[in-house]
Amino acid sequence: MIRLISAEMFKMRKRSMSRVLLFILVGLIIVFYLVLLAVSNANLPHTGARIGNIPNLLGLPVALPFALSLMSWFGTILAIMLAASSIGSEYNWRTIRTTVVSSESRFKLLIAKLISVGIFILIGLIIGLISGFIMSLITTAIGGYKFDFSFFSGTYVWDQFLQFWRTFFVIMPFSLMGFMFAIIGRSAMPGIAAGIGIFFGEQIITGFMYLAKGWIAAIPNYLLNANVQVITALAKLPSGFGGGMGGGGSSDIQAPSVTHAFVVLSIYSIAFIVIGFYLFRKRDVTG
Amino acid sequence: MKLIGEIISGMTTQTTLQPQTSIKKDNDVILRTSGLTKKFGTLVAVNNLNLELRRGEVFGFLGPNGAGKSTTVGMILGLVAPTAGSIELFGTKLDGNSWPLMRRVGAIIEEPAFFPYLSGRDNLETLSRSIGNVPKAKIDEVLKRVNLFDRAGDRYDHYSMGMKQRLGIASTLLRDPELIILDEPTSGLDPAGTKEVRDLIPELAHESRAVFLCSHLLHEVELVCNRVAIIKQGTLLTSSTVEELTSQGQMLQIKVADQKQAIDLLKTLPWIKSVKIENEFLIVDAPKDSASRVNQALAEHNIFASELVNKAASLEEVFLQLTGGTSGD
Repeated sequence: MIRLISAEMFKMRKRSMSRVLLFILVGLIIVFYLVLLAVSNANLPHTGARIGNIPNLLGLPVALPFALSLMSWFGTILAIMLAASSIGSEYNWRTIRTTVVSSESRFKLLIAKLISVGIFILIGLIIGLISGFIMSLITTAIGGYKFDFSFFSGTYVWDQFLQFWRTFFVIMPFSLMGFMFAIIGRSAMPGIAAGIGIFFGEQIITGFMYLAKGWIAAIPNYLLNANVQVITALAKLPSGFGGGMGGGGSSDIQAPSVTHAFVVLSIYSIAFIVIGFYLFRKRDVTG
Repeated sequence: MKLIGEIISGMTTQTTLQPQTSIKKDNDVILRTSGLTKKFGTLVAVNNLNLELRRGEVFGFLGPNGAGKSTTVGMILGLVAPTAGSIELFGTKLDGNSWPLMRRVGAIIEEPAFFPYLSGRDNLETLSRSIGNVPKAKIDEVLKRVNLFDRAGDRYDHYSMGMKQRLGIASTLLRDPELIILDEPTSGLDPAGTKEVRDLIPELAHESRAVFLCSHLLHEVELVCNRVAIIKQGTLLTSSTVEELTSQGQMLQIKVADQKQAIDLLKTLPWIKSVKIENEFLIVDAPKDSASRVNQALAEHNIFASELVNKAASLEEVFLQLTGGTSGD
């Protein structure tokens, strides 16, 4: 098993796509911070909560949760690409047969792929966090805000540690969905298309569902995005920046509890893994 | 040619021919398929296939496109699930946990497929990590063996077709396999590359190895294989040594002064199937070892052969006769 993970890590480390995705992640964080800095320096009337909170958002205390919140959104998209291509590209390059024949079992091969994808996502989160913190330092300096590290305490570190794993947790269902669709479609593209398509499409559809009354409005609570929002909202961010994702909300529909969100997202993740593994083990590998 | 057909039709009554050298022990059998069948819906891709491959053999597995060769290889390698029948590797039946057996098999399936963004060496490194327990020095060793050592650092997608094929062979050697499966190993190669790979194949089949070679390049197979099996539409047509196949399909090649008179005479003989003219020779389809009878018959009518030789059929002629000369597609 270790040797399969080692082989998968070797492939991903050597692949330029992995590095490109990391560069995009860091680039987006940099761009996001620079845009916020520009907006905060602009001569805009401070009428809304969002504008008023921008200097707070650029500050060091919220740098880590803000970076994690950003990554729970566009990090998910990049993770879908990574997960789908890790198995789908094997079909595209026709290496799947050689890989399967050289692997102890199909089950262990998929486990190794998922673990290596998970490790890369964790690496991406850490790099994203570091980038966010550095950008916060830069924007604090440029914006002329005060450097104050008094927020740094054991509680703070523990909160960020939890939020780090929450972010990882909300990224995984979509990544696993991309992984599953890549197996179903025997190509990276179906995985990426389905993963990203559902990621955005569900937000649009659930927006309409929220407009309805009764049981239809409750359906989003059993889909992915509403539950992801519940988890990401646990980050202690200034008001108006609480959720990593968009999506509507209805005042008369109660948001799911954290436990509910955790259970629903876990069920989806497990279902995607089980379906993907079942198909990969059952189907002939014909190239 | 009809004679070849008769001989072969007699041979096909038994699906598996036991090796001519009966002194070989059963534990020499590296690969055995019994009643191997694969159906895709209503299409029978492989039908009741019985094969045996022994140590030290280069076994040619021949068939037109779509005959079921790659499906068979896929089943042997555990990529395709058989609908019926069984496969034994090294005397052990393949089941759910076939890795200990598969680790002893090296294969190129249809065409070498590697990661395009990795160098040749890195591709082998990836495989050696997957397989496990492959010494680092083994990668250099196999690269040298296939003359790729100097280009090992180049990206795979910059390799020529010949280099890709050679890397494919190198990858099969990484685990020091006892069975090597090569599916069209000279596909896309130029003549020099073809010869290079062809020369390498018998070398691979040293005492402890066997090579299972899928191809429809019959000249290539005739040059390197000890035994062949011919498959069409999933059904085994014959399995025999190359010499046996080609010698049993042999013709008589006769040179006479008066070809017309000779043809008229030979056509009256009931045991002669056909006579045709090829260049300055008569090609006579007659039973094996009938040269003296033919010569006697000619002489009795004052026709004297200046040349009379047994002309062995080529594997290609046998193959075309068996398969009807049509593509399996």
